[in-house]
This record gives sequence, C-alpha cells and structure tokens, in this order.
Amino acid sequence: MEINILLVDDESDFVETMVKRFGIRKMPIDSAKSGQEALAALAAKDYDVIILDVRMPGMDGLEVLKLIRERAPLTEVIMLTGHASLEAGMQGMNLGAYDYVLKPADFDDLLDKVRKAFERKQLNVKARKQGA
Amino acid sequence: MSRPASREPESGSERQGISQGSDQGMLARATGARLWKDHGLLLWAHFLVPPGLAALVVAATFATPVLAGILAGAVLAIAAVSARGLLSRLSQAEEARLALTNQLIQSQKLAAIGELSAGIAHEINNPIAIIAQEAEWAAHLVGEAEKTGTADFAEVKDSLREVRAQVDRCKNITHKLLDFARKREPVLQEVDVVRIIEDMARLVDKEASYKNVTLVRDLPQDLPTLRTDAPLLRQVVLNLMTNALHAVDTGGRIQASARADGEMLEIRIADNGCGIQPENIDKVFNPFFTTKPPSQGTGLGLSMCHTLVTGMQGEISVESKPGQGATFIVRLPLRHSPLHAAGKNT
Repeated sequence: MEINILLVDDESDFVETMVKRFGIRKMPIDSAKSGQEALAALAAKDYDVIILDVRMPGMDGLEVLKLIRERAPLTEVIMLTGHASLEAGMQGMNLGAYDYVLKPADFDDLLDKVRKAFERKQLNVKARKQGA
Repeated sequence: MSRPASREPESGSERQGISQGSDQGMLARATGARLWKDHGLLLWAHFLVPPGLAALVVAATFATPVLAGILAGAVLAIAAVSARGLLSRLSQAEEARLALTNQLIQSQKLAAIGELSAGIAHEINNPIAIIAQEAEWAAHLVGEAEKTGTADFAEVKDSLREVRAQVDRCKNITHKLLDFARKREPVLQEVDVVRIIEDMARLVDKEASYKNVTLVRDLPQDLPTLRTDAPLLRQVVLNLMTNALHAVDTGGRIQASARADGEMLEIRIADNGCGIQPENIDKVFNPFFTTKPPSQGTGLGLSMCHTLVTGMQGEISVESKPGQGATFIVRLPLRHSPLHAAGKNT
C-alpha cells in the first residue's frame, strides 16, 4: 500500500537526500521548504504522514503542527529536529505529534516510524468509519 | 506507601443503615472485618471444633454415653451462641468499614473539586487583571488623544497587543482543561515500550546533563510488545521524566525501568529528589495541584498522565518518602480485555 508522505524542511540538501532514499524504496515522497508551502500542499492532497522539521525560518514547526492537527486531524506528524530539545519535544507530544526523530536521523528508524504512523492513521480511519 | 491513583467504591458500598458510633469505634470494629465475609465456614469450624473435642474428652472420662451426649450437646450449644454473636459483630464491623470508605471517597471528591476551582480561578485571574489594566490605560490614552488632537496611537497599540496576549494565555488554560476533559479514544498498535522509553530519554538527556543529572535506563531486551496507543504512552513517559528532572537537585539520578509482571507491563520512573510530602501524596494527580511557584507549572502534567493512563486501561501510582525521592509506577495490561475491544467497535 502506498503511503502519502510529505517532508517539510528548509534544508534543501537534506530534503534531496531523503527524497532519493525514499525513492529507492519505491516510496515517492513530496517535499515542502516551509510551513506555508506545507499547508498549501496539505490543502491540495490528503497526506498520511508528514515529517516536519521543528526549526524553520518563518513559521516554526510547532505552529505548523498545530495547524495541521486542526486542518487534517487524521494525518500523523513525525517531528524532526537537529538537536534534542526537551521543550520542543514536550510541546510536540502535547500537540499530538505521533513521534519524534533526532537529526541526523537513522533512515531505517525513520522508515519504521513512518510505517507505524501510517498504521495508526489507518486504524484511526477504520475506527471513524465504524463509529459513523 | 503505595496508593492506587483511582479508587472505585467497594462493591456493596451502597449499603445503608449503619450503627451509630464514634469514628474511632467504627475503625476499631472494622479491623479484620473482611475475615467473616471470606472465611465464614472456617470461622464456624474454628469456634465449634475445639469445644466439641473438649466435650468428648470430658464425656470419655465419665464413660457413660448418655451423659457424654448431653455434655457434648450443651457445650456445642454454648459455643454456637457465642460464635453467632461474634460473627454478627464482625458483619457489623464490615458495614462500618464500608461506610467509612464511602465517606472518605466523598470527601476526597469534594476536596478535588474545591482545589480544581481554586486552581482555575488563580490561573485565570492574573491575565484578567492585566487585561483590565491595559484596557483602562488604552481608554485613557484614547481620551487624551481626543482632547489634544494628537494621533500617536503607538502606546494604545501596545496595550491592545498585551490584551491580545493575555487572552491567548486564558485560551491556553481553557483549551488545556477541555483537552483534559475530552475523552480520547486510544488507537491500539503493537508498541515496543523499550524503544519508546529510550526515545523519550534521549530528549531528556541533554537537559539532564545541564543539571548534571544522570538518567539511567534499566530496560530488558526481551520485553513483550504492548498493544497500546503509542503517542499517548510517549506523552506519559516524557511527562514523568520531566517531572523527575524537576524534582532532583544538581547531581541527582533518575532511573527509568520496565518489566513484565504477569498480565501487566510495569514502567517505573524513579528519582532521588526531594520526594513528596505525605500530606500531598493524595493530591499529586489532582488537576492544578503543584508545589512549584506560580508561572512555573500549571499542575496539569501529572493529572494529564493519570487521565491518559486510565484511558489506556492502566493504572498509575506513586511511592515516595520525603527526602528520599519518588517513584512513579505505570502499569498497563499486556492483553487488552476483549470486553473493551468489543465495546470500541459498536
């Protein structure tokens, strides 16, 4: 099953590598370079998992997370950050992020978390359908 | 000193009509009352067999079967009457104990409600006071501008910005409360608990190193996976670790451990910090209860943990002696009850 993934990060080198690495595994992913771009992409397409950098110029990752949770509550978000920040971690978790990955992210670790997040989204969708 | 965080009223606690008496009297009578309920037959045997045997011995010394029969009968009858009296006192005591438990639960509920409203009032009053001041100041400035005809509204804008900021602060509090009240339906997945603890510990490590605090992991590699809600569990673990970090002094030690215990998986976050005062130990899971100075904690962290863990069909408790640190224990069922799973699908 294909997972719709969006990677949001302002570091274009990192984004390129990630797009390549996901591509090798036959998992095409979209990317956005800022919070605004991410929200625009989200309005156009229904994403399953969004990998979101915490530190970005302009709109900060936690703000974007809040808006994603409002606009697409079923989409799971994995936070990504360059350093271990307890404060950002706490806020991210409290705002409903699925998980947290530290940069430099171990790719298999990230992949595993993406799959788990996707599984959760599907379970959530199923539960909603049964609830309706 | 272990305490389950949520106490359900004991079954049958709705019984009414308890004999009057001082609380101390009730307590005294309540001691050991449960014995009767669970071991009634054994108690009867306990009171009847020895006098029966004694009667037989006495009868044997007289050696006439008729006399022996009469004696045995008489002794048994006396023993039966006294045992009956004792047993009825025991069941009275059981009722007294139930009544006391009920009173206790009721008064704890009331205390929690009282603390909760005091907490809300306190948290919301400060921003409201600032809003009032700023609004007054803005009105004053606008009035001045009207009189003099100057049009410098920079300060007015400042005031309005402050009002806006304080409204956001209030909004945050009410949102948190709403979140707290909202029952989130957990999404169950197979979860590797060791990994979740390790992931969250890595977030805490750096902050811990600033305080020269060591965060020790005691995590077995062969822990079974758990069917639970991963993000909720992460939130609980992270909250407990942060809480521990706040509790310890420089050079302190936090230990995160996990183990399987029969049907349950147990996670322990222990610290060697200041511990919890005995008078506070019943309140730590109450919303808005905090021992931190104002503005340094809303007192919602642990109560949120409690809500989340209960939502995951688990229980959370705390063990602590003042000055010797505290241990928070989260116990989650390894197998979700089929009853609950069935309920979710309807």
